[in-house]
Amino acid sequence: MKLYYFSEMPHHEYPDDEGDKYPSLRLGFPNRFFDRAKAASNYTRYLDEYEFADQAGYHGLMINEHHSTPSCVNVGVNMTAAVLARTTRRAKLLLLGNILPIEDNPVRMAEQIAMADLISGGRVLSGFVRGVGIEQWWANANPVHNRERFEECHDLILKCWTEPGPFRWEGRHYHFRHVNPWCLPLQKPHPPIWIPGTASPETAIWAGRRGYTYVPFLVPFDIARELFEFYRQGAAEVGRTVTADDLGFLICAVTADTKAAALEAGRHFVWRMGPTLRGPADWFQPVGMRSRAGTQFALRARPRSLAAMSYDELLAEHFIIAGTPDEVIDRFAHVQRELGVGHLLLEAQESRMDHRTTMRSIELMGAKVIPALATP
Amino acid sequence: MHTWVGGRGAPLLVLHGAGGNRGFTRWTRAVAEHFTVWAPTHPGFGASGDAEWMEGIDDLARFYLWFMDGAGLERPHLLGQSIGGWTAAEMATMSPGSIDRLILVDPVGLKPEAGEILDVFYHSPAELRDLMVCDPKTVPDWDELFGRTPTPAELAVATRNREMAARLTWKPYMHNPRLEQFLPRVANPTLIVWGRDDRIVPVECGEQYRRLMPNATLSVLERCGHLPPLEHPDAFARLILDFLGETRR
Repeated sequence: MKLYYFSEMPHHEYPDDEGDKYPSLRLGFPNRFFDRAKAASNYTRYLDEYEFADQAGYHGLMINEHHSTPSCVNVGVNMTAAVLARTTRRAKLLLLGNILPIEDNPVRMAEQIAMADLISGGRVLSGFVRGVGIEQWWANANPVHNRERFEECHDLILKCWTEPGPFRWEGRHYHFRHVNPWCLPLQKPHPPIWIPGTASPETAIWAGRRGYTYVPFLVPFDIARELFEFYRQGAAEVGRTVTADDLGFLICAVTADTKAAALEAGRHFVWRMGPTLRGPADWFQPVGMRSRAGTQFALRARPRSLAAMSYDELLAEHFIIAGTPDEVIDRFAHVQRELGVGHLLLEAQESRMDHRTTMRSIELMGAKVIPALATP
Repeated sequence: MHTWVGGRGAPLLVLHGAGGNRGFTRWTRAVAEHFTVWAPTHPGFGASGDAEWMEGIDDLARFYLWFMDGAGLERPHLLGQSIGGWTAAEMATMSPGSIDRLILVDPVGLKPEAGEILDVFYHSPAELRDLMVCDPKTVPDWDELFGRTPTPAELAVATRNREMAARLTWKPYMHNPRLEQFLPRVANPTLIVWGRDDRIVPVECGEQYRRLMPNATLSVLERCGHLPPLEHPDAFARLILDFLGETRR
């Protein structure tokens, strides 16, 4: 099983009681609480950690993008990919991902991902996401078009990478008369494509049909299995056999020299389960963003919100794994047995987890955990 | 297309707001004694079929001009509330000769010179219900309209209505920046009705409409929010009948 290092690049640099005064930390929490000096030093720190994860032996470095939120100030996944393409040497760069429905220029996006792939020597894994509702508000993109734009943006990017230009694109949402990108990915025919999932059966089926790597994020095992079944259903439609390499899973994880230290560090993940997901339903899931099938599945899929769970419950349900390297190896192997996944994405830093703790966790993962899980 | 039709007399086409078609309520029943009221449900709303191809209110306006042909409505009076009012204004700019008298009730459609149109998609339906009116206690049929918990089927319709409204009005939000260029074409006798305490669309927008339309008057109702037909049904019906003239045609 391959391990991936991931930090949301949080900006938890404000008094919590100020954040509590607002309906959500996203969208409406005023940016006067954004600390420019701390942000500047944090970016240096977070990028150092990514570089160390590369050296420590992680198979991949996962990066993502959000907007209008202190939970994630990585506001440009391709920008970060460009930095890491230059400063890391070995690890895959997993962009998970570019938020397609809010993108107005898929041609530019295709070029930027291609450029990161070229600079990195062909290390890009190109994830495409539908995004959470907050990003629809941020971009003022109509949520009723979310899935249509996701698919059309994807189709145009793929065409940029695989068909010779110049060509014309007159779609429903995108219109370009002269498409001829002079920047194509190093990997042929294009970088592998990854798709995350939380609740949408349509996305799982679609990814399965296309043979993309599919990764549920922070869902209970039984929901992940159900989503994988939808994925297999899509794969079966085109006669494709699903292997462990097609499937991944994302959890939060930290290790330390002692169990006590790891459990203390793991508490930092609670912030991303509760406070950063707090807010009106219409902000996170604006009208029309989710299909009726998706809504029905989501109602079944999330009987309890992560926010309602205690730290102990989050540990027991494997949303968070925190322990000594031996304990972490045991739990990761359990996840692998339960889900049959070939990729385990570790959200490995959160909230106010300090640099020293983060670096030690990366070091121990590299020295002990990654080698132990390297063979299937 | 689902359409309520009733009454007697010259035709009055009534276009509902984003909340959906409430059918014949108190004011409509009063007006239907003198006019034949046509109250269609917009495509994508309520019991009408889907229209996922539509992108904006101008599509809905063209659609209703076509609907009038199909229904054999010759120069009907046209009344629209909120997004229905915006639709009616667009129809009038496209084909003023197809319409007799025009009534716009708290219409969106213009960018306010001062203030903002409330972002209705940013607020929950429960919050909106209170923001829509000046004072629920003074709405005569409040209990009948909102007094009980909606059934799952009613909730599904409400969600579908909200989705279609978002489809039509998301960006630019609830207005057409070019509408003001065309409104001077509309010389039809026009009555603009507004609630003084409208918290969805500032009452100043009523003044903007009045200024842009050559033959319009503005009537502002006191202690009234965004829904004059529900908040003051009797006064509202009186205004409409006075403007249309009970015995005209």
